[in-house]
Amino acid sequence: MENAGYLFAAYALVWVTVFGFILILLNQQKKFRQDLESLNATLKENDTSSGDGS
Amino acid sequence: MNTSHKTKLGLLALSAALMIWAHYMVFVYVPTEAVMGIVQRIFYVMVPVAWLAMFSTFVLFIASIAYLKTRKSSWDAVAYSAAEIGLLFTTLAIVVGMLWAKPIWGVWWTWEPRLTTTLVLWLILLACLMVRKVANDPSRGSIFAAVVGIVAFIDVPIIGMSTTLWRGIHPGGIIFEGGLAPPMLQTLLVSLAAFTVLYVLMMVLRVTVKNNEITIEKLKTLR
Amino acid sequence: MWQPECFKRDMIGQLRAVQVLKLGKSKAGLVHSTYGFNCMKFLSKAMAITWKDVLSEARSKETIPSVLIFAVLVIVIFNFAFGAGPEQMKLIVPGILWTTFVFAGMLSLNRTFVQEKEQGCLEALIICPIKRHDIYICKTLGNFIFLTVIEAISLPVFVVLFNLPLSVLPMLIVITIMATIGFIAIGTLFSALSVNTKAREMVLPILFLPVVVPVILSAVEASKLVLAGGSWSSIASWLQIIAAFDVIFLVVSYLIFEYVIEE
Repeated sequence: MENAGYLFAAYALVWVTVFGFILILLNQQKKFRQDLESLNATLKENDTSSGDGS
Repeated sequence: MNTSHKTKLGLLALSAALMIWAHYMVFVYVPTEAVMGIVQRIFYVMVPVAWLAMFSTFVLFIASIAYLKTRKSSWDAVAYSAAEIGLLFTTLAIVVGMLWAKPIWGVWWTWEPRLTTTLVLWLILLACLMVRKVANDPSRGSIFAAVVGIVAFIDVPIIGMSTTLWRGIHPGGIIFEGGLAPPMLQTLLVSLAAFTVLYVLMMVLRVTVKNNEITIEKLKTLR
Repeated sequence: MWQPECFKRDMIGQLRAVQVLKLGKSKAGLVHSTYGFNCMKFLSKAMAITWKDVLSEARSKETIPSVLIFAVLVIVIFNFAFGAGPEQMKLIVPGILWTTFVFAGMLSLNRTFVQEKEQGCLEALIICPIKRHDIYICKTLGNFIFLTVIEAISLPVFVVLFNLPLSVLPMLIVITIMATIGFIAIGTLFSALSVNTKAREMVLPILFLPVVVPVILSAVEASKLVLAGGSWSSIASWLQIIAAFDVIFLVVSYLIFEYVIEE
């Protein structure tokens, strides 16, 4: 049992990395979705305002 | 390649179930190896992680060729994701390999063929990701990354050959060449399956995020 | 008429270049489809580009002399860094030899496309009536000539400075030539790539060094065996690996080169 620390470290490391990666991805995804919505909104706004102007 | 929410949830459920099964087998079911003791169980995570590093390089290779031929940004997104996740798994393979080498061989690092090959692959994947950032314009960066991606995959067997000839067959090879006991083989296979499904899930997520990023960049230039 | 500056350097180079450019203008398109069947025509065109490189270097003396000085400096510096007795030196010498060749090779490879890019020559090359991947062959040939000249001069210097027996020369020369082909096969591709990046001189080594690891490793190990008095058969397996690398990467680079230099 003396080397159980290495075993624990190996599995813990893999799990922390994988979960960390997925969490960062989900965070980014959330940010991008907000960005996308705001961009779409401004694009629509631009469309309607330029339509009114001409 | 915009996978629906349902598919993602399905993948998540499948990978979670397989992972739980794999961990049950690794920590409860499989007998402890006689010579190396409990630390031998690292093997069931080291092999899948190293396999995913290689598999990701293969995906990078295919996506790179497809991107050069079709110039579709979706293939570029796959190539980018494969390079990034490949780098993640090569890093894990190296570190887990070190955690294996320390108790077994008494050193953190040894210039053992497979470790050396993984290290060189890690450096090439790093270069593949870097070359995107330093290219004169982003579309060129994608092409350059694809070129490096193709070279990376083709180079791996040659690096493997040269490092093997350089160091000879390593002790680990001898241990496992004799064939694994059936329970150990079963555990390894379940673990491999679990990690491969996890890889697919990670790829799907990464590609979705990358595609969103590309769309946003396009919209920003429109504005 | 617009003319790339590097073509103006000398009369012969200029004539050749104008010839090549004219061909491109008069038969644009047509030439592209027919030249494939005309091997002689291709060879003369390919040679024109390689010849342009050689002539330009012969006149300007920009690359080879400075790389040579660099190579000798590396040898001298390493000698100080590892200043050991003759017995230990025998183990270190192959490492010094190949570090020198790799760094000298990288310096020289860095120059090949930088010159073209700075003087607008790359655009001229691209509009030449010659397939993109044939430019790869011309450039690779040019690089091979440059590197071989550099190595042909620094190898004897090396032999003298480290008191190596002359009998090892034939084997060392074969190893050097084979490894050089490997270096330039992938080096030409990456130098064309790195010239279009922001930090040119940094990008080439970062891409080039990890990929040529098998060549460096095999060349060092083979040279070690040679210096220890090994026979041809003892280094055969190392030479096989270098040969495999050479063939594979000449073909692969030839196939993907066109993507690297498109505008």
